[in-house]
Amino acid sequence: MLGHDASFAYIHAVKLTHEKNLFAKRIGYLTCNLFLHRDHELMLLLINTMQRDLQSANHIEVCSALASVCRLVNVEMIPAISPLVFKLLNHPQEAVRKKAVIAVHKFFKIVPETVLDQKDQIRKVLCDPDPSVMGASLHVLCEIAKAHPAASKDLVPSFVSILKQITEHRLPRDFDYHRMPAPWLQVKLLSILGVLGTADKATSEHMYEILQECMRRADSGVNVGYAIIYECVKCITKIFPDHGLLELAASNISRFISSENHNLRYLGVTGLAQIVQVSPAYAAEHQMVVVDCLEDPDETLKRKTLDLLFRMTNPQNVVVVVDKLSFHLRTSVDSHLRRDLAQKITSLAERFAPDNEWYVNTMNTVFELSGELVPAETAYNLMRLVAEGTGEDDAADNAFRVFAVNTYLKAGRQMLCKNTYPDRGVPGREN
Amino acid sequence: MIQFILLISRQGKTRLKKWFVPCPERDQFRTIKEVSSLILSRSPKVCNFLEWRDYKLCYKRYASLFFIACVEGNDNELLALETVHHFVECLDRYFGNVCELDLIFNFHKAYYILDEILISGELQESSKRAVLHHISEQDAMMQENEQAKRKG
Repeated sequence: MLGHDASFAYIHAVKLTHEKNLFAKRIGYLTCNLFLHRDHELMLLLINTMQRDLQSANHIEVCSALASVCRLVNVEMIPAISPLVFKLLNHPQEAVRKKAVIAVHKFFKIVPETVLDQKDQIRKVLCDPDPSVMGASLHVLCEIAKAHPAASKDLVPSFVSILKQITEHRLPRDFDYHRMPAPWLQVKLLSILGVLGTADKATSEHMYEILQECMRRADSGVNVGYAIIYECVKCITKIFPDHGLLELAASNISRFISSENHNLRYLGVTGLAQIVQVSPAYAAEHQMVVVDCLEDPDETLKRKTLDLLFRMTNPQNVVVVVDKLSFHLRTSVDSHLRRDLAQKITSLAERFAPDNEWYVNTMNTVFELSGELVPAETAYNLMRLVAEGTGEDDAADNAFRVFAVNTYLKAGRQMLCKNTYPDRGVPGREN
Repeated sequence: MIQFILLISRQGKTRLKKWFVPCPERDQFRTIKEVSSLILSRSPKVCNFLEWRDYKLCYKRYASLFFIACVEGNDNELLALETVHHFVECLDRYFGNVCELDLIFNFHKAYYILDEILISGELQESSKRAVLHHISEQDAMMQENEQAKRKG
């Protein structure tokens, strides 16, 4: 772990798991979890032990085996292990049921068909009396909802009622975290509702009331409460839009964005980016704060603000926004960020360019600063525009072509010195 | 889902690492080096989230240790911080005023607790009492086994 190679010990770890002694067995499983991965050649030795332990009478052995299943299972093992795991969904111990549900979640990610055949069993787990098991089932149901939303829409009333019970503090007190009832369950339910309500008015209408209630109760001044509010905002922007809820979401986001806490400002900027996609009007009142965030010394906040600016662009402010993005493209060194910025500038220029000369100039800047990160289609589009013109006015087109050729000649001369341009200047010279 | 959890000291030593997606050893070490250098160089006044490759790193400093959780792009970052805090609170309850030395000498127990809280990158148990109850059950059973072995 600290960097020393320990591969000599792996086979001993596997042998330890065969031991009857629980102490040795747990240590063996722990070491295997840490060192092996699902394609390791020693996995075959483990499969038999895991199958035996999954059927053992001692629930702690079952738990250790299930934890390893979650970590190490691969495609070949699933037919052998999945029937045992599905049987364990009905085990009397709730710890075992909980881990079995999460193992099912892992199976779904690897081979979805195994789980879809057993949908009814999983839905039964949703009604499990123990809240932890119910919470664990939400993970699987979330993945199923993302993959097959239509099939899961009938579960929306159950999710809404569970969320209602949680916010009314009807779960045991153990699940309260800093006086918020079961925040992780709330967030998970909210994300499932967001997935299921997308573009569906009827389903979304079921959720409006509970979303409002959830946001109101989460407003408690603790970090966890803010996390829930943020998730509510995300959900509201995904489902069929409702004016009242959007107002509520926007007012919460304004509070975040003007707060002193850096984390809240980050969440505010991200949340505003999502609200703006649904209804651009809300961006206008926060323009000054957004500009402030752009000058913030915090790198992460700056990136998120650039993302927000990208979504807030319209034909009026495109020149200013692209200026800011180009400035950051010039000064940044991180290759992921630069590729991202180059893509954003290209897409904004193609969508909102006020005139052709500005478009050519902007694209030239992008090629000059990050030519190797721009895909080839962009350059071909540009050349096509220059060669064919807009077809409206011949004289204007000719003037534009002359302008384009001049800029490329200038750039071509520089290219001979700098060599950053991928052969773009050549087609321009043909005219 | 959470991709991995890392605990590193202020000097950059790894105290605990748990990957929830398959990742070969070499890549793990490369990732640890990159991530530690990124996070140890952050000033305390900036926000606790960092974008790295396609993921987000949520980190928090507790005394001399940095707890780092790597989440996917569409996950709730503040919730990841709370998950890490939940883990720290469980450790604190179990060890009683936990410090870095406890984690160095009893790293296997720290892993057991982490396994009770997080599986496959998702939170499985949000009730501290249930987590500690399971761990103490397992400890008791292990101790019984040990005593039986010594007698036999």
